[in-house]
Amino acid sequence: MKHTLTERSLAYLFLTLIALVAIIPLVIALFTSLKGDEEFSLGGMTLLPSSWHPENYSRAWEMADWGVFIRNSAIVTAAAVGGSLVLNLLAGFTFARIRFPGRTPLFLLLLLGLMIPAQVTVIPQFIIMKSIPLFGGNDWLGQGGNGWLDSYWALIVPELAGAFGVFMARQFYLQFPKALDDASYIDGAGYLRLFFSVYLPLSGPLLATLGIFKFVSVWNDFFHPLLYTNSPGMRTVQLGLQVFRGEHQVQYNLLMAASLLVSIPILIMFFVFQKQFIRSMVSTGVKG
Amino acid sequence: MNRGWNRIVPYLLILPNYLIFAVFVLAPVLWIVYLSFTDYTILQPSEWIGGRNYERLLQDTLFRKAIVNTIWYWIGTIVPTILLGLILAALLTMKIRLLAAFRALIYLPGVLSSVAVAMTWLWLLDPLQGPINGALEAVGIGGRNWLQNPDTSLPSIIVIGVWTGLGYAMIVLLAGIQGIPESLYEAASLDGASGPQRFRFITVPLLKPILLFLFITATIRSFQVFDLVYILTGGGPANSSTTIVTQIVGASFQEYRMGYASSMAVFLLGITLIVTMLQYWLGSRNTTTE
Repeated sequence: MKHTLTERSLAYLFLTLIALVAIIPLVIALFTSLKGDEEFSLGGMTLLPSSWHPENYSRAWEMADWGVFIRNSAIVTAAAVGGSLVLNLLAGFTFARIRFPGRTPLFLLLLLGLMIPAQVTVIPQFIIMKSIPLFGGNDWLGQGGNGWLDSYWALIVPELAGAFGVFMARQFYLQFPKALDDASYIDGAGYLRLFFSVYLPLSGPLLATLGIFKFVSVWNDFFHPLLYTNSPGMRTVQLGLQVFRGEHQVQYNLLMAASLLVSIPILIMFFVFQKQFIRSMVSTGVKG
Repeated sequence: MNRGWNRIVPYLLILPNYLIFAVFVLAPVLWIVYLSFTDYTILQPSEWIGGRNYERLLQDTLFRKAIVNTIWYWIGTIVPTILLGLILAALLTMKIRLLAAFRALIYLPGVLSSVAVAMTWLWLLDPLQGPINGALEAVGIGGRNWLQNPDTSLPSIIVIGVWTGLGYAMIVLLAGIQGIPESLYEAASLDGASGPQRFRFITVPLLKPILLFLFITATIRSFQVFDLVYILTGGGPANSSTTIVTQIVGASFQEYRMGYASSMAVFLLGITLIVTMLQYWLGSRNTTTE
């Protein structure tokens, strides 16, 4: 189709304008992170630093236990991504490729989960976490201690079962022809071998979509670590950032440096896997 | 193959997922409804108090304020996000050069965590040194303490919400537009339809299902707004930016009135379910009439 020159120019103008609005705050944050302390007291208003201070990043790093925060976030994110992929793919495969009594009602029950906001279940979840028997100083009745609260369990386990992931996996596995299963069954394979030798190797796009979605949502999560952890040693990067802001008189150059530091894994993900990243966000219906 | 074993395998494959789902989603949903009829606090055993939490909720002016604020946030973010997102998506399909670059740049704020976004804007909006007040003063307009002024705290959060949410609306709508057959546009062009006309009479009607999807997800999400509010203003000043979830968290985890907070959570659940039902209803009506 054709567009007039005026139409095209206006399009470029508008796109450039919005792109600038999107990106300028981040550019300002980047340059602010490189400014020296003295620039703030002088009240100068330049975009670029008058002198460059990349050492702000190591200063910001040393002002809080970032090593601990990053380790916590990395452990929780890796376990949540790995674990949820295994469970979601297996369940999605089962719902799509195996007939068994109760399949439809069980699946519909799972779909109900899609409608329930995390903010609604957080209070009972908190109580359940606190009452997990034999953990965190609890007796076998779940009394006396903190259960899973303030531990990795609280941040990992609820992330493992996603109604969403199972739904996506089922949709993905439904698109294959039945002949694929029959050939495998004739060879004498059971369900598990069918999954591991036939379907898992075909699951690349699904793994990318769900993996990216889970990575972003767990790494960026603020809500659950805020409510389920309280000791400094259990903080994730998002929580650490929030605390970092409060612990010192706000030094914006260091705050911006820390903000960019905790965003690096997500930014790398975004720029390296841009196509898969965008497909993941579109198909999972979740803002990053 | 052992037939008996094979009959159990499917259940075993979904079992871990179901156990976790049952313990951390299904049980909590039933439990929150129960809790909303009790005076449970984390410190003492609970007692059944009937509908008293809900009676109090109806008279709670603070919660009413939170609902009103949340509705403002919802309208204030959803209208510009969808409208601008639609325009951007349409422009990006005009065989634009640098399409990938525009798409990536506009979407970039959406990939950052809410905490990183909040920190960035905390600096931009800083009353004394921040770039926004600096720029305003440079052109002769007095700046203000955006986040700590009751008149501007919520609008500031709304602007930030649009800033982070726009890219997502754009890529979803872009995917939708790219699914519309090119031949329709070519036929319309031959009949002399201009760009805006093609947009109005082909793109918008055919995008209806995606617009509906986007509207519903954005609605549900904006009723859950919490992170930005909590970090930027804590709901203040004078509760001018408090929202439903801010109230839930405050009542439950700061005041330990878990029973009362549960009635607020049930209210949020109710809104979410109504909106979701609306989606099914509108969605099925769309497919049957067209």
